[in-house]
Amino acid sequence: MTSLLQVQNVGKTYGKGANTFTALSNITFTVEKGEFVGVMGPSGAGKSTLLNVLATIDTPTTGGITIGDVNLTHMKDAELADFRRDNLGFIFQDYNLLDSLTVRENIVLPLAIAKVPAKDIHKKVNHIAQLFGISDLLDKYPYQISGGQKQRTASSRALVTEPKLIFADEPTGALDSKSATDLLESLSDLNQSQAATIMMVTHDAFAASFCQRILFIQDGQLSQEIHRGMQTRKQFFQEILQVLASIGGGVNDVI
Amino acid sequence: MTLFSLARKNIQRNLSNYFLYIASMVFSIVIYFTFVTLKYSDTQGSSKQIQGLMSGSSVVLLFFIVIFMAYSNSFFMKKRKKEVALYSLLGVRKQKIGFMLFFENIVIGLLSLGLGIGLGFFVSQGLFMILVRLMGNEVVTQLTFSMQALMNTAGIFAVLFLLTSLQGYRVIYQFKLIDLFHAEKQGEQIPRASIVSVIFGVALLAFGYYTSAADIFTSNIWRFFTALGTPLVVIAMTIAGTYLLFHSVSVFVLTTLKKATAWSWKGLNLIGVSQLLYRIRANAKSLSIIAILSATTITAGGGVFGVYYNAETTVRQMLPNTFMWKGEAVSFSQVDVLYNESLAVKNLRVDNEHAFFEYTLLKESDYNRLAKWQGKDEQLHVAEGSAIVLDATYDERFSHDFTGENFKLANGDAFHVDKMYTDSVLNFQPAGTVLVVNDDEFATTDAEAVTMQVVGLNDDLKQKAVSKEIYQQLSSEQQDSFSSVPQSYEESLAMVGSLLFVGSFLGLVFLAATGSIIYFKVLTEAEEDQAKYAILNKIGVNSKQILKTVAGQVAVIFSAPLLIGIVHSTFALIALSQLLNMNITKPVIIWMLIYSAIYAIYYVVTVRSFYKIVRQETKS
Repeated sequence: MTSLLQVQNVGKTYGKGANTFTALSNITFTVEKGEFVGVMGPSGAGKSTLLNVLATIDTPTTGGITIGDVNLTHMKDAELADFRRDNLGFIFQDYNLLDSLTVRENIVLPLAIAKVPAKDIHKKVNHIAQLFGISDLLDKYPYQISGGQKQRTASSRALVTEPKLIFADEPTGALDSKSATDLLESLSDLNQSQAATIMMVTHDAFAASFCQRILFIQDGQLSQEIHRGMQTRKQFFQEILQVLASIGGGVNDVI
Repeated sequence: MTLFSLARKNIQRNLSNYFLYIASMVFSIVIYFTFVTLKYSDTQGSSKQIQGLMSGSSVVLLFFIVIFMAYSNSFFMKKRKKEVALYSLLGVRKQKIGFMLFFENIVIGLLSLGLGIGLGFFVSQGLFMILVRLMGNEVVTQLTFSMQALMNTAGIFAVLFLLTSLQGYRVIYQFKLIDLFHAEKQGEQIPRASIVSVIFGVALLAFGYYTSAADIFTSNIWRFFTALGTPLVVIAMTIAGTYLLFHSVSVFVLTTLKKATAWSWKGLNLIGVSQLLYRIRANAKSLSIIAILSATTITAGGGVFGVYYNAETTVRQMLPNTFMWKGEAVSFSQVDVLYNESLAVKNLRVDNEHAFFEYTLLKESDYNRLAKWQGKDEQLHVAEGSAIVLDATYDERFSHDFTGENFKLANGDAFHVDKMYTDSVLNFQPAGTVLVVNDDEFATTDAEAVTMQVVGLNDDLKQKAVSKEIYQQLSSEQQDSFSSVPQSYEESLAMVGSLLFVGSFLGLVFLAATGSIIYFKVLTEAEEDQAKYAILNKIGVNSKQILKTVAGQVAVIFSAPLLIGIVHSTFALIALSQLLNMNITKPVIIWMLIYSAIYAIYYVVTVRSFYKIVRQETKS
């Protein structure tokens, strides 16, 4: 069986001529279906660039990315947009909810774009809202709810289409610790109960400890990879802190 | 580096950003300068009414330009808030920034003033030519550069630039640094429509429309408010109704649409509807103003164009013969003559208690001959004791319909009126209302015998020279009775032509300005919406779909005021055509099409710029 996500020698260079800056170089890894993978690294290491490239929002300079059995390398802008719509889900640090829509409508949006019939949309939205515990908030507007609730809404929006792959970019970055824990637990549940494949970028060791596997990036290159295996979350958290200390520059990020 | 040079460099570097602003300034100046040049030009010394018209219109124009400049200036300032914030962050004092912007505005002002006046001079030459043509003059005169117009324009715009500069100053002082960096992030309130104002708005418009379409002379509403009061009442109600339409009815309709999930939960309909929900409510005032302005422009332009279009028909209706006068024949150049003859008619005088009326009695055989020359097919055979009445001024609402009645003469005789025609074979001047009887009856009727000359020429509209030639040979009494198609046509063109010119000129300016106002507004909003479309792109909406929803939203914003303006003016023109007793459907439709076509150009340009702005964000 092939992996869900295959990344082959991906590199990303910005600028032209003598003024080039290499954000990513020679990155190769795979993600299997049903995995919960974290990506960590110090600021400026290229975490977000990697996620953007994988999420087809940005294009790699070299190398190839395959999701499912689709090779994304030579796809055009419009095709990529359609691919995102049908296969990927996103959770962003700043939620990216649309202010002019209610919580319900925000969750409806990707389904509406995918032309799902209104009857089915109702069912799916109610189901996902229940999973994330926001059923009571469906008719409120984003400015009427808290940050944690916004991130649950954003997560519901990302997951309602049952995407093959979910990308989360610092999803807990703007949340207080209680909301962050709630969200991470929801994601972790979803990963286990529904075999959802999640890839999460974070610089927070606590958030990362919910993952099963963590890739560390340093200066645009993969430096290490650790597995949670049979460890408890606390043990895994300690291991992450050790790795961060060893690659340096991590201490600041932890606190 | 002095502030002045910083300001100057600013302009040089961001010329493309400034282009739109400068262009709208130059546009305003060109329009105004052209107008005052025409106003001050004494080349058309004779036409006092045109100058009066021009003076009145230039006030309207000025009022309009002030609004327009305020709009474009605030748009421009909004665009530059970030730049101002940056200076402020770097520690430049507000006072200095204000000073810099002030300088900048002055530089832009001087630049636009120079450009505008230069361009305006050429434009006024061209427009003057058109004006002369529209008034039916063939002689083309040159306009001289008017110092008076220059002083007037420069003075007024200096004041305006000073005001807009102060407006800029105010913006700097009012905003806090934090506001300058962040566009308002507070949640916008969800607009809700109160059912009362929805019903009230619809009722106001319905009443206004009903009243305009009602017969002015029989409707009770018109009687109640009087002929002068009713239009004012209708206009007031329509304006209030229009505002409520944009403020509440639109929200009501859009909310209903949004609730119909079978439709709204399909593709980007949800986005389109909720964006519009905010936009239309927030812009209710501007959209109403634009709708009313469009309505005014279309009504005024359509009405004037209708009258102009009908000028020839009106003249021909009243004057079926090229020339006609009472008295003896005169000799004139015999080119293009179709017919030229003396008619023996009789002058009937009918007295009643208050006044007397004069009618012209015409022989049946003369009628038939003239009718044939004038291209009418029908030949009359009037029975003994009967008459047929020809009344070119007949209007069913005011005139007396003689059909079937006995027409009593002063001496006790009477004719039975068989039929009435509204087109005569004799010019209303000098013949008035005509009674056609058979030749025997004519001979026996006792009335004052009169000789009238009727002349028909080919190409009659261009026979001004012949008209003068004849006129000069007539005695002053005969001159009073003289009527001439080319002369009447020229007079009505001179009047209506200048009206048409001013009307279409102002109409064009209004159109350009309303179009630009929507353009500015929509683009300001596009900048606020950039982030939204970036999100949409991230969750998998391709560019084609974004273009589609953008085009749809902008289409609603553009077409709503236009459609309402057209409907308003349709009803206003129904009332007007009733008042003038004229069929102006065709010219009005032509006018509306031209108006909509220019509007459509604005639409396309706006959608393109909107899309560009939105895509900028997602590309980066």
